[in-house]
Amino acid sequence: MLENIALIKEVHEHLATKDAQVQAREALAKINLQKISLYRVHMCNAYEIFCVCVVRAMMSDDKSVIIISPINLLDNSSSMDDVVSVIKKLQMSQDIVILDTLANETHYKEVSCNIVK
Amino acid sequence: MVLKFIDNVGGKTLEILDSFYEALKFTFICTLHLLRPKSYNPAMRMVLTKQIYFTAVEIIPLFTIMAVLFGSVIIGAVIVLASEYGLQDKIGSIIITFVLDEFSPFFTALLISLRSSTAINTEIAVMNVNNELNTLRRYRIDLIDYLFLPRIISGMISVVSLSILFAFIMLCSGYIFTLFYMNMDFHTYKHLLISAIELKDLLVLLIKSITFGFVIMLIPIYSGLKTTNAYTAIPISVLNGMVKLFVAIFFIEVLSLLIQSL
Repeated sequence: MLENIALIKEVHEHLATKDAQVQAREALAKINLQKISLYRVHMCNAYEIFCVCVVRAMMSDDKSVIIISPINLLDNSSSMDDVVSVIKKLQMSQDIVILDTLANETHYKEVSCNIVK
Repeated sequence: MVLKFIDNVGGKTLEILDSFYEALKFTFICTLHLLRPKSYNPAMRMVLTKQIYFTAVEIIPLFTIMAVLFGSVIIGAVIVLASEYGLQDKIGSIIITFVLDEFSPFFTALLISLRSSTAINTEIAVMNVNNELNTLRRYRIDLIDYLFLPRIISGMISVVSLSILFAFIMLCSGYIFTLFYMNMDFHTYKHLLISAIELKDLLVLLIKSITFGFVIMLIPIYSGLKTTNAYTAIPISVLNGMVKLFVAIFFIEVLSLLIQSL
C-alpha cells in the first residue's frame, strides 16, 4: 500500500521513493492505519482500501476530490461517520465532494457536513 | 461468390495491415520514451530495479544449470563434428561463431520468453481486465514510463547479461571437450579463442541480445494491452502473444543470419 500511495508523488513531483514513502506513512498514521503499510491489496478490508484511495487522492495535485457512493465501497461494519472522520483526520487541502443517490440518503442523517439535494 | 472472396481477402489484409501499423506505432512510442530522460522518474527506477531482479537475477541458478547441461552437450557435438570432418584448425572460429553469434543470444531469448514474457503478458492482461490500467491513467501516470519501459529495459539488460553468462559457460565447456577430443591444453584453447574472436562477433552478440530483449518484452506487453474486458480473454491474450513472440524471435534469428551472410 505504501508504494501504491507514494507512487503519485514520485511520478508527479519526482520525489525520491524514500521521501514519498515517508509522506505516505505519515498519512496512514493520521488515520491509524500504519499496519497496512506493507499489505498487498488482497490483505486489506474494504474500509482500508477506501482509506488508501482517499490518501492517494490526497497525494495528487488535483484541486478537488470527488467520492462517488462511498457507502457502496465500504463493508457493513463501516458508516458515513467513518468516511467523514477519515477525511477530517487527513486534513486534506482539496475540496471534497461526495456524490450519492437518494437511495443512500439515510446514511447521511447524522453526518455533519453540507448536504445539497 | 468471387466478389465475396475478394472482399474477405481485402478485409483480412486491411485488418492485418492495421494491426501491424498499430504495433509499429506502439513500438515507436516506446522507443521515444526510452530515449527521453523525463521518463526515468523515481517510481520508474524502482520498478526497473525490481524487474531486473525478477528477470535477470532470480533466474541465475536455473539458467546456469541449463547452460551447463545444454551448452556442454551442444558445444561437445559441434567440436566432435568439427574434428570428424578435419576442421581442427578452424575450431576456434567455429566455436566463437556458434557460441557468440548464434546460440547464446537465441537460447537466452527463448528461456527468458518462456519464463518472463508469459508472466508479463498475463500481468498486463490482468491489470487491464481489473481496470488497474485505467486507474493509473486517471492519476495521470504514464503507463509507458511506469509499467512498460522498466520491463523493456530489464528485458534488454537481462538478455545481454545472461547471453554473456551463457557464452562464458559454453566456452568453458568447450575447453573440456577440446581437452578430451583433441588433447588441447588450456593455454592453446585460450589462444585459439582470442585469435578467433573479432569485434564483429561481440557486436553481433550485443545487438542481437538487445533486439531480442526489446522484442520479448514489447510483444507480451502489447498483447496484454489488447486484452478485452473479460477474464476469459486472458489465456487467449497470452496464447496470441506467445505465438507472435516466437514468430518474431525466429524472424530476428533468420534476419541476423541473412545480414551476416551478406
